[in-house]
Amino acid sequence: MSLVFDLLLAAALLWSGGRCLSVDRLDRAIVLFIAFGLLMALAWARLAAPDIGLAEAAIGAGLTGALLLDAYGALKRRKE
Amino acid sequence: MSSGLLFACVGAILFSMGVAGVILIGHLLRRVLAFNLMGSGAFLILVGLAQRNDVPDPVPQAMVLTGIVVAVAATALALALARRLHALTGKLELPADEA
Repeated sequence: MSLVFDLLLAAALLWSGGRCLSVDRLDRAIVLFIAFGLLMALAWARLAAPDIGLAEAAIGAGLTGALLLDAYGALKRRKE
Repeated sequence: MSSGLLFACVGAILFSMGVAGVILIGHLLRRVLAFNLMGSGAFLILVGLAQRNDVPDPVPQAMVLTGIVVAVAATALALALARRLHALTGKLELPADEA
């Protein structure tokens, strides 16, 4: 049962990572990257490292996502 | 196959995808995304391979915890540099170097 969950999680990680690099719109790529960070937090929990999972969810997904969205918004505003 | 080895393999694939993105993609924000993907792959390899018989090793975990924070700082620096480049040149790609 846990092997099935691990395989699903690995497939979701690879899919979201690959789509994050290959999707054509930049805002969708950033949102996919945030989803990838949250999936990484799940993977850390599966690897018996819940402290890294918490740090990844708060810093890796939350803070990095906010930074990327802020930069995207600023660049788009300047372009208009 | 233990879950540590499985996630280490996933980390290796993620790392190679990130390397390909950093080399092949010209847009700077996408390059930052690929760089972060590369870092996540390296962290997965570190923690995944350090597990023997499902007993976690705390030393690589502490290294990865530090690495996540450093990666966020590097991302913030890269984004600030990209915004400055866009303000100066109006482009979001690095200039091609004349040989």
